[in-house]
Amino acid sequence: MDLWRRKKRETELDEELLSHLEMATRERVERGDAAKDAERAARREFGNVGLVKETARDIWGWRWVEDFVEDVRYGLRLLRKSPGFTAIVVLTLALGIGANTAIFSVVYGVLLRPLDYPKAEQVVRVWGTNAAGGEMNFSDPNFQDLAAQSHDFQGLAQYTSQIASVAGGTQPIRALGTAASRDFFPVFDAQPAVGRGFLDEEQRVGGPRVAVVSYAFWRDSLGSTSDLSRIRLKVDNEAYSVIGVMHPGFSFPGETAVWVPRESFPTLPSRTANNWRVIGRLRDGVNLEQANSDVRVIARRLKQQYGDDTSMSDASLLRLQDEMVRSVRPALLMLGGAAAFLLLVACANIVNLLLARAAGRSREFAARAALGASRGRLLRQGLTEVALLTVLGGALGILFAVWGVGALLDLAPENLPRANEIGIHFPVLLFALVVCGVVAAAVGVSTALRSTVSNPLRGLAEGGRVGSASSHALRRTLAAGQVAITLVLLVGAGLLSRSLGRLLAVDPGFRSSGVVTADLSLPEVENEAARAGRAQFFGQLFAQLRRLPGVEQAGAVNVLPLTGDIADGTFLRLQPGEQIKDFRQFERLAHNPERAGYAYYMAASEGYFQTFRIPLLRGRHFDSRDGMDAPHAALVSESLAQAVWPKEDPLGRLIEFGNMDGDLRPLTIVGVVGDVRARGLEAPPEPVIYTNLLQRPQQQSNVSIVLRTAADPGVLNAELLKQVRRLDPTLPVRVRPFAQIFDASLVHRRFTMILLGAFAGVALLLALVGVHGVISYAVSERTREIGVRMALGARPADVLRMVFGQGAGMVAAGTSLGILAALGLSRFLQSLLYEIRAADALTYGCVTLFLVFVALLACLIPARRAMNVDPMVALRYE
Amino acid sequence: MAEKRERYQNRIELLQGTLDLLILQTLQWGAQHGYGISVAIRNRSGELLQVDTGSLYPALHRLEKQKWIAAEWRISENKQRAKFYRLTATGKKQLTRERSRWAQLSDAIAGVLQPEE
Repeated sequence: MDLWRRKKRETELDEELLSHLEMATRERVERGDAAKDAERAARREFGNVGLVKETARDIWGWRWVEDFVEDVRYGLRLLRKSPGFTAIVVLTLALGIGANTAIFSVVYGVLLRPLDYPKAEQVVRVWGTNAAGGEMNFSDPNFQDLAAQSHDFQGLAQYTSQIASVAGGTQPIRALGTAASRDFFPVFDAQPAVGRGFLDEEQRVGGPRVAVVSYAFWRDSLGSTSDLSRIRLKVDNEAYSVIGVMHPGFSFPGETAVWVPRESFPTLPSRTANNWRVIGRLRDGVNLEQANSDVRVIARRLKQQYGDDTSMSDASLLRLQDEMVRSVRPALLMLGGAAAFLLLVACANIVNLLLARAAGRSREFAARAALGASRGRLLRQGLTEVALLTVLGGALGILFAVWGVGALLDLAPENLPRANEIGIHFPVLLFALVVCGVVAAAVGVSTALRSTVSNPLRGLAEGGRVGSASSHALRRTLAAGQVAITLVLLVGAGLLSRSLGRLLAVDPGFRSSGVVTADLSLPEVENEAARAGRAQFFGQLFAQLRRLPGVEQAGAVNVLPLTGDIADGTFLRLQPGEQIKDFRQFERLAHNPERAGYAYYMAASEGYFQTFRIPLLRGRHFDSRDGMDAPHAALVSESLAQAVWPKEDPLGRLIEFGNMDGDLRPLTIVGVVGDVRARGLEAPPEPVIYTNLLQRPQQQSNVSIVLRTAADPGVLNAELLKQVRRLDPTLPVRVRPFAQIFDASLVHRRFTMILLGAFAGVALLLALVGVHGVISYAVSERTREIGVRMALGARPADVLRMVFGQGAGMVAAGTSLGILAALGLSRFLQSLLYEIRAADALTYGCVTLFLVFVALLACLIPARRAMNVDPMVALRYE
Repeated sequence: MAEKRERYQNRIELLQGTLDLLILQTLQWGAQHGYGISVAIRNRSGELLQVDTGSLYPALHRLEKQKWIAAEWRISENKQRAKFYRLTATGKKQLTRERSRWAQLSDAIAGVLQPEE
């Protein structure tokens, strides 16, 4: 592209031609002609200067650049002349491209972008499977055996996390703390930004209390002090010294603020105490499938070796990235597909619009062809116009996408994995460019081929509107396709919303409206005195809370329903008077299927069940009779009672559940309460054993207060905080209405449903416009024909039937195709549905009826116009 | 008044290759500018072949692109600046090739036109 050289060549050529002209003139003058005549004659003989220059330029070979610039200029002029048309096309393109870019930025950030660790594809999560096929954590002995017997890993680490009260000298906050074993940081190749990692002598029971903090925590709560020895860190009221700060951006798992060495806690010898998550880095060159099968072999070997002593019967591993996003992958991919469909619908409209406009310009094309433009040249020009429109649409679309991504992030579930990676990164822009290119090529080629008529004579002769039958068929096919795609999207949105409706109709077993919760992080209870102190604390707190205006009930529980993992395990049925002396005896008895049962463990206080309106079916609630010295009471859920004591009364029976909280005293069942779906609305109600929170304040330090109130939750929040602070000003508290928690458990579904609904809505609009457009255009093209028919005796009703019939045929074809496509594709939706079959007849029926109705309406409007054609006017129509 | 002879305005029918041949041959006798080449061809053909500039200059540029002729700006005999073209070594070889091709062609045509004996 040497423009400077080209300019030089141009001026040289000018000079050369000028000198030629002069010489010719001079010769004539010498021969005797008058000066002026000589020049004129010379020029005439010279010929067309412009053509000479043009042919010379042709030889130089830059013709195509000039042509291209010319095309662009002409195209811009055309676009400016029809601003309405341009606006519609650009807007439609922008919608389609913008939606796709926005969704792709989410797909890229969450699913495709590699994790930020060096060689992240080697980092894997390992978990166990129990006999029922459910996923489970590892126990200490099982982890140690895995580490010893496996050769696939460069590093293997165990970790577990918990919300704790963390204070850096200022007000304590609730933050996530993680206990991590020796290989944890090396697995991620994570280096501290300040200070160092753990030393060997710190990684043992009885070693000094040390912690590594995250960069964000250090910056936000510790004032970024560079002298780490000055920091007085307190975790759950225990003092820790900070020896390192991790590099910015690292906070695995989740938003961990503090890591402590796992080795500072004693290991449990039981193979059924599954408390640990496992993460590892594969050796270079180790294949994922191979590592997976190796891990399975080890797990099965352990099961064979230890039988009932271990609850893990199988194991599995996955790349960390895949494991993090597997819950959202199906929904995201589905949304990506829906966005692509939307783009197809938009493109169909654009093709139809361009075809209609090109038909209006057929005279122009014919004239150009007659003047010598080759078909290729005309095609190139058509493509340039389409490319211009696409570029404009794409630019606007990227703007839409930027705005759209912001809106998506606001709407998205809080716990969307890798949400912080979503943004308009370079690959996303590249994707937008590629989409633009594909759209331009597809639309351009199809319209350009259609509109450049090979025989110019036809175009010049007829009145400018060359509506060949085949082009009309193309338009009808496109419109039918739009209807089909819209049906698919509408069916998808319909299925998702029915799913959500079914879920909302599920009886969770508790009433959540009017409940306010406060999450507290309390210090550990280590001895009897502390236990008494805790009981007193709660007693006072409840008394004060119950006195607050508007509060009807108050209680507490160790884990709120719908908030997360609930501990589960094996319990024992005891004979009257039986006592379990130690855990070894427990383990032995746990092997006996006649004595052992399975249940989830929750610790609740007096008032908890009343607050959540969980019905008491038999016996009594926890009350003041269940003091510190009284026999430990327990409540069981109905399903557990039915399963374990089907024909007997469970009241008064003794059970042993000390493996969950360390307290081996037997529990006496004092009541049976209704079933609750505590793990999630979708899971069936679990069998639960509730211990009394005050009799068993447990090792875990997280407790949630619950209040039932008729008052405004906002007002109550402040009061609640005040009361808690009054009792202990250092306690970090999080107050929120339970409705928030309830909604959060549904937010994934809601989000997907809203997005798909939005796509379906836009597609519907575009499709209706498309259908209306096609019929409208057909009517205006056939005006003369209609006039003739009417003049020959057709009644308006006949005309209406003819036009409407065409439209109805189109809609019928599109609908049938759409139903088939929806049936075929909805298989992929099944994993996102709850209690609705993907081929749900009601949804399909309603959607089809609705779509057919509005589409036929869209056909009716132009058809009625056809009816009112005046034959006299039509026959004169030119 | 010149004789009204039939002007063989051989614009379109002059084969592209033939014009190249004529130009190369003309330059064999020394470097020349565009106008000079057209005058030379006209004279030597006895006023029969008038090469119009629309064909001449594109042909010159084409030949220059093929490196069969080379161009440089010089002062002409009339003290005017003009672009002179000269034959290159490869151009000479091309000229020989074209001449033999032309000879073959004219022999072939002559053979066809030979009256039947």
